[in-house]
Amino acid sequence: MKKNLLWFLSAGSLFIISSCSKDDNPTPPTPPVVTTGLYVLNEGLFNGNNTMLTYYSFSNSTPTTDFFANVNGSSLGDTGSDIVIYGGKLYIVMNVSSYVEVADAFTAHEITRIDMKNGSVPRQPRYAVGYKNKLLVSSYDGTVAVIDTTTLTIDKFITVGSNPEQLLVANDKLFVANSGGLNFPDYDSTVSVVDLSTFTEKKKIVVGLNPGKMAADENGNVFVVSTGNYADAFPKIVQIDANAESVTRSLDSAVNIIKVSGDKLYAISGFGENQKVLVFNTADLSVSDNNFISDGTVVTSMYGLDIDDETGDVYITDSKDYVSPGEVFCFDKNGTKKFSFSVTPGLNPDKVVLIKQ
Amino acid sequence: MVARIAHGQVTDSLKTLDTVTVSGAKNVYINIAPVQQLDRSTLQQLNSFSVGDAAKYFSGVLIKDYGGVGGLKTISVRSLGAQQTGVLYDGIAMADAQSGQVDLSKLSVTFLQSINLYDGAFFTALMPARSYSYAALLSASTVANFPSLQKLDWRFGLRQGSFGLWQPYAGFTLPASKRTFINFTAEGTKAEGDYPFNINNGSYSEKSKRNNSDIKSLHAEINITTLFNDSSAWKTKAAVYIAQRGLPGAIIFFNDHSTQRLWNTDAFIQSAYNKKFNAKISLLAAAKYTHSYTRYLDPDFLNNQGELDDKYNQDEAYASAALAYNITSSLQFNYASDAAYTTLHSNKKMFAEPSRLSLWNVAGIQYNKQLFHANANVLYTHIHGDVKQGTAADDKNEFTPALAVSIKPGLKSPLLLRAFYKRIFRLPTFNDLYYNIVGNTDLKPEYANQYNVGVTYTKHVSEHLNNISFSVDGYYNTVNDKIIAIPSKNLFIWSVLNLGKVHITGVDVNAEASGKFSGNWSWFIKLAYTWQHAVDVTDKSSASYKDQIPYTPVHSGSGIIQLAYKTWNFSYSNIYSGGRYTLGDNIPANHLNGWITQDISLSKAFLLKHATLTIKGELNNITDQHYDVIKYFPMPGRSYEISISINKK
Repeated sequence: MKKNLLWFLSAGSLFIISSCSKDDNPTPPTPPVVTTGLYVLNEGLFNGNNTMLTYYSFSNSTPTTDFFANVNGSSLGDTGSDIVIYGGKLYIVMNVSSYVEVADAFTAHEITRIDMKNGSVPRQPRYAVGYKNKLLVSSYDGTVAVIDTTTLTIDKFITVGSNPEQLLVANDKLFVANSGGLNFPDYDSTVSVVDLSTFTEKKKIVVGLNPGKMAADENGNVFVVSTGNYADAFPKIVQIDANAESVTRSLDSAVNIIKVSGDKLYAISGFGENQKVLVFNTADLSVSDNNFISDGTVVTSMYGLDIDDETGDVYITDSKDYVSPGEVFCFDKNGTKKFSFSVTPGLNPDKVVLIKQ
Repeated sequence: MVARIAHGQVTDSLKTLDTVTVSGAKNVYINIAPVQQLDRSTLQQLNSFSVGDAAKYFSGVLIKDYGGVGGLKTISVRSLGAQQTGVLYDGIAMADAQSGQVDLSKLSVTFLQSINLYDGAFFTALMPARSYSYAALLSASTVANFPSLQKLDWRFGLRQGSFGLWQPYAGFTLPASKRTFINFTAEGTKAEGDYPFNINNGSYSEKSKRNNSDIKSLHAEINITTLFNDSSAWKTKAAVYIAQRGLPGAIIFFNDHSTQRLWNTDAFIQSAYNKKFNAKISLLAAAKYTHSYTRYLDPDFLNNQGELDDKYNQDEAYASAALAYNITSSLQFNYASDAAYTTLHSNKKMFAEPSRLSLWNVAGIQYNKQLFHANANVLYTHIHGDVKQGTAADDKNEFTPALAVSIKPGLKSPLLLRAFYKRIFRLPTFNDLYYNIVGNTDLKPEYANQYNVGVTYTKHVSEHLNNISFSVDGYYNTVNDKIIAIPSKNLFIWSVLNLGKVHITGVDVNAEASGKFSGNWSWFIKLAYTWQHAVDVTDKSSASYKDQIPYTPVHSGSGIIQLAYKTWNFSYSNIYSGGRYTLGDNIPANHLNGWITQDISLSKAFLLKHATLTIKGELNNITDQHYDVIKYFPMPGRSYEISISINKK
C-alpha cells in the first residue's frame, strides 16, 4: 500500500514540474529596421486575438511576423480588417477589439489607440480611408468616424446606412457601401454619398443587395460589388458616376474583392478551386483577361488583392485553409509570379500596403 | 464486489449497505469492452458540480470546458468528437438534434448514484437501440434508476463557495404504497462566476475579473417507481431544468464588453418498464417526450433592431422496445427497435423549421461461457428529414456492425483479454444542415471506426489491499468525412463540409485499489492516464497534415486518493493535461500550455439520533493554476466551498 501511495504522489509532483517547465514568454527577436517593402495585415481568427503585422523587406526578401508585437512588446488583438498608411502614420482597423491602432509608419511604434466604442458598446470598425488630414473609418454601428490625424481624436460620427463596409473618396465625395450584413436575410442595398465639406450624408444610391467592396478610377467612376443574398439575388458589379451620383452600369458577375489600377479593374472571382482573378476594362466593364495568373501559379484560397499603381505589380494573399499560416504572392502586370513569401504564423492575410522609406 | 463494499465503507461509511453494493454491483474492469465508473461515494467526495466536471476523471476523455459553473461542458471520447458521444440519463438518451451535443454542465451530480463511460457502447443488459448508435456512451444514473434501492429516505443540504456560489438542495423518497415509491429531488444554483484571471498580451499583463458569467438555475425531478410481484419494474421520471445565464465570451484584447444572455428550459418525461417473462424472455419498453427552449439574446447586436433575440423550441417524441431471448444458457439473442421524431422551431427569419424521423433497429447476440464472452450486433439506422423552407437533406440508411470478445486465461486468473471493433457514424446536426446560409444539406454522415485491444487485471490480495484492478487498452480509430465548418468567403460566412479525416492512436490506462490500514483507517485510490496521437490526415499539402488535432493533449491523466478514519473523510484529486495546439498546424504560435489542478476536501459526519449531519470543506485548484481549456476562456483559479448536509440515518 505504502508503495502505491508513494508512486501516486511522485506521479503527482512530476505532473507539476512538467506543467511549469514551459517558457511562457520567450524574448521576441530584435525587429529589423524598416526600409522599402510591404506591410501585410493578417486578420487572424475571430476570438483568437491573433491579428499580426508582417513586414516584408524588398532589400533582403525577408518577412518578419509579428512585426508589430516585436516592436511594441504586445500584439494588436482581434480581427484586424484594414490597414492604411496616411501622412507618415500607420492605421490598423481592429474590428472585434474595436479600436484603431495608430503607429509610426516607418517604425511601427505605437503612437496611440483610438477607442471605437459607443459608451461601452463596441462599434466594430471595418475600413478606413485618409482624406485632407482626416481618417474616415466605417463601423458596423452605421457610422463613419472622422478622425483628426494631427490630434488623433474623433471629430464627429457621420450616420450612414446599416453595417457599412468599404468606403472611398471620389470627386471630393465619400462613398460608403452599406451592406446591412448583420440583418440577414434583409440586407441593405445602398451606397451613401457623404459631403466632405460638411461631413454629412447627402443621399443614398440604390445599387443592389449587400454591397461590400469598392474601387474607383481616376475618371470619377466608383465600382461597387453587391454580393447578393447567396440565394436568388446574384452578385454584381455596379458602376456609379461620382459626379452625377447615379448608377451608370451594372454587370452580373460572381466577384468579391475588386481593385482598380489605371483603366483596369481587377477582381477575385468564384470560390474554392474555381477562384481566379478577372480583369475588366473600366471604360465599359468588358472582360480584358479572364484569367490574370498566366504562369499556372496556384493560390489555394485568394483572400486579398492589392495593386502597386507605379509598377503594376499585383499582390494576392492566400489564406490556405483559413487555420494555417497564409502566404503572399506578387505577380507582375502580365500575371507572372515575381515572388512569394509565407506570413507564418500569421493567419488570413487580407491586405498588403507598400512602405517606402 | 467485496472490495467495492470496502471502498464504500471508506468514503461513504455512514450510508446503508445496499446503496453501496448496488452501485458497485459489478467490477467494471471485467467488462467485455472498456467501462469506467465513478460511483456515488466517490462523486460525493469529488469537487464536482456537474457530470461535466466529474467526467474529467475518466481516461480517454476530453471535456471541452468554457469555464465557470455556467460554462458549456461537452465530452469527446477518444478524440471522436462530442457529437459521436451519447449521454444516457437513467437509461434513456438525452439528445440535442440542433447542436448534436449535450451540455454536461446542466447535469448535477448531487443526486447521482453513478456515472459510467462505455467505450464502444457494448452492454450486457437490455438496452434501447438508440444506445448502440454512439461511438461511446456516458451514462448518468440517479438512485431512482435502481428499483431495489427504493426506501424511505430524505436529504437536505446547502453548498456555499467562492465567486458567489449558493446551492441548496433537497431530496425525499416516500413509499406511496407497499410497492410504489415516490422520489422528489430539487436543486437550485446561483453563482456570480466573477473569478479573477490574467490577461496576458506579450509584455502587457492585466488582472481582471470574469464578467457576465453569472448563472441562476433550478433542477427538479419527480420519480415514481413501482416494483411488481413478478419482479418487473416500472420507472417514470418527470424532470425540469430552468436556467438563466450570462455568456461571458472569449477574452478579447482591448474590449471587455460582454452582455449576451442565454435562457434554457428543458423538460422531459420518461417511462420505462422492465419485465422478465420467464428464464428465456425479457422485455424493456420505454418512451420519452422532451421539450427544450433556448433563448439567446445579444442586446448590443448591430442590426437594425439593435439586438439579436433568437428563440428555439425543440421537441422530441421517442419510444423504444427491446427483447432478449436466451436460446441456451450461454447464448442470448436480443433485438431492439426505437423511433424518434424531432422538430426544431425558431423565430429566426428564413429558418428551415427542420424535422427528423429516426428509426433504429439493432439485432445482437451474446455468448457467455465462463472464460469466453462475445457480443456482436448490427444496427440499422433510417433517417428521414423534412423542412418547411428550403431543401431537406436526403434520407439516410446505414448498417453498422460491432463486435466485442473477451477471454480469461483460467478460472482463477486475475487477467482478462479483450478486443472490440465498432463502425458507427454521427449524423449532421440541424445546425450543420440548415443554419442560415452556412448549412449544407448535401452533408454525408461522419463515420468512425474503432479498434480496441486490452488487458485487465483484478485481484483480491489481503485485508490491507482488498482489491486491485488495472486495465490497459490500446486503440486505433479512424474518422472519415469529418464534418467541419470552414469560412467559405470571409471569416463571417462559413460553410459546413465533409472534409476531415482523422487517425487516432491511443492508450487508456486505469487503475484502482482499496483497502484498510488497521481498524478505523481505510483508503481508496483511482488513477487514469491517456496517451493519444490524434492526427489530421485530410490533405497531404496542408500545413496540418499528420499534426495533432486541436485541443488534444498527447498526455493527460487524473488521480484520486481518499482516506477515511472513523467519521472523517479526506480526499485529494488532480487532473492533468499536457500541452495542446489550438489549431491544426502544430507551430509554437498555436501552442497552449498544459496544466494540472489539484483539489482537496475534508468532511466530518456527526451521528445524530435519527439523522447524519455532514460538514465538508473543499479547497479547489490549491496551487491557483491559471489555465485555459479553450484558449481565451479562462478557468477559475483557487476557490473554496463549504457544505452542510443532513440525511436520514
